Amino acid sequence: MTRPYTPWLLLLVALALAAVYLFPLYWMYVTSLKGSSEIFANPPTFWPVAPDPGVYPAVWARRNMPVFLSNSVIIAAGVTAITVILGTGCAYVLARYRNVWIDIGLFCVLMLQVLPASVMVTPLFVGFNQVGLLSYPRTAVVLAAAAKAMPFFVVLVRATFMSVPRELEEAALVDGNSRVGAFFTIVLPLARNGILVCAILTFMSSFGEYIYSKSIIQDPNLQPASVGLSGFLGPNSTDWNSIMAYAAIYVTPILAAFVILQRRIVAGLTSGALK
Amino acid sequence: MSRFFNALRDGVGFDVLLVGAALLFLLALAGAPLLYNVLMSFQQVDMFTLGVLFRPFVGFDNYVAVVRQPEFWLVTRNTLIFVFGSMTGQFVLGFALALFFAQKFPGAATIRGLFLVSWVMPGLVVGAIWSWILAGDFGVLNVILKSLGIIQANVFWKSDPNFSIWAVIIANIWLGLAFNMLLLSVGLAAIPRDLYEAAELDGANAFQRFWTITLPMMRSTIGAVLSLGLIGTLQQFDLFPALTEGGPANTSNVAGYWSWQLSFQLYDFAKGATVSVMMFVLVLFASIVYVRSTRHEVRG
Repeated sequence: MTRPYTPWLLLLVALALAAVYLFPLYWMYVTSLKGSSEIFANPPTFWPVAPDPGVYPAVWARRNMPVFLSNSVIIAAGVTAITVILGTGCAYVLARYRNVWIDIGLFCVLMLQVLPASVMVTPLFVGFNQVGLLSYPRTAVVLAAAAKAMPFFVVLVRATFMSVPRELEEAALVDGNSRVGAFFTIVLPLARNGILVCAILTFMSSFGEYIYSKSIIQDPNLQPASVGLSGFLGPNSTDWNSIMAYAAIYVTPILAAFVILQRRIVAGLTSGALK
Repeated sequence: MSRFFNALRDGVGFDVLLVGAALLFLLALAGAPLLYNVLMSFQQVDMFTLGVLFRPFVGFDNYVAVVRQPEFWLVTRNTLIFVFGSMTGQFVLGFALALFFAQKFPGAATIRGLFLVSWVMPGLVVGAIWSWILAGDFGVLNVILKSLGIIQANVFWKSDPNFSIWAVIIANIWLGLAFNMLLLSVGLAAIPRDLYEAAELDGANAFQRFWTITLPMMRSTIGAVLSLGLIGTLQQFDLFPALTEGGPANTSNVAGYWSWQLSFQLYDFAKGATVSVMMFVLVLFASIVYVRSTRHEVRG
């Protein structure tokens, strides 16, 4: 008798769990809509009494967000471009062969994947200072963050290339195509979706890059939005509705892209993340 | 010369070019800095020698100085608490959720996918949101815990030395939970259904099935998830500046953030490099476990 109801009961529980888990996001949006006295109400209101979106344009202008956000986009685009151009070829070769050299290459990539940015930032900063790259701080950050993002990209895209049948490429070679031609006309188009998902993931994660930008970029006009957020965030901050509005403006594009592409992203991650 | 270009276009040269470009880039921007870091930890680095490569060699003086710092053992203890607290929380909750979402019900995959938003959000934003939730006087977590009767008085998560590291751990568990759950779900989905059916026919209850089928079948997945969790936790940086800045009095400081503070707030690059070399040894250990537990899958 109870059997048919079980799936719906589970669905209810699942929705409740998701609601609890996503509460911080909800709280960000709700707080940003509250007035500056309502945020300190006790007990707090779980739905704003007088929703006021006016804080958004105010924060946008006062915190110089257009500059910060465009810097974030520039840095993320640079990181994604370098990662995709260099990483795709590397992943293709690592997926195509199986010998001891490939094992060594893979081992190197896996080892580089685990290096914490906080370990790398000190030598990178001193080294960039010596070669003069600190005069081009955004370029320096792009290079450093691309080296951080590439190993993960290679591991994921390699799994995509593994799923492209070898026979198709071999058929093209038999038909007189060159290796370069087969790569660009057969293999790349077949792996396009996987590469695209991984590129989007790379873009998303470098859009939030913080540690390298904070350490390397001193000029506020070149800093990304993450550093801009840290500027008015501290143990004693009280301006919570502005902070939450800033955070909301910053993450809403990422969240929207994620929700639209959710199915593909999850599929791309699960195919490669454990391999 | 034309043979060279032919090989590049149509032979092994093409592969070498593709993999070589990426590896050269990674060697220049990840391998070389790593070695440079070790070199710096044995040198005297100050404002006068910052611009040169061969600085006065000081042997193990930097290491001795770092260990003698009054906060060294506190930071070590905090790092261990942070790593084990975060990993345990992420793994246990992630496993529980993965088991739950392995049940068949409408929308299971979609709702599970929604959990992953925590993982794509910038760490600093996650830190900012939790900083507000965990605020002492007006934070919503205190209100919820008080109304549930779990605590009587407000807990000052970020400024109480007893809780500050736990504030970061809570935020980090939230951040990493979804990724753990996703990887464990993949492992769960790979277990053949008929094993469970056979066990059920033989009269094994749910707990026995979990203990004798799920856990043994998941062994390599669990190894990979735990080592990825360790690596991810050691990589965590953004939450510290957003939540506590290592304070109060270093009670929530961990190795990664301390190293950054030494380099970029005190401009003591030698000590910063020394701490990060120490941390790298820890990461190396984690990655060896990770590579070992995924090795057969890498080749596959």
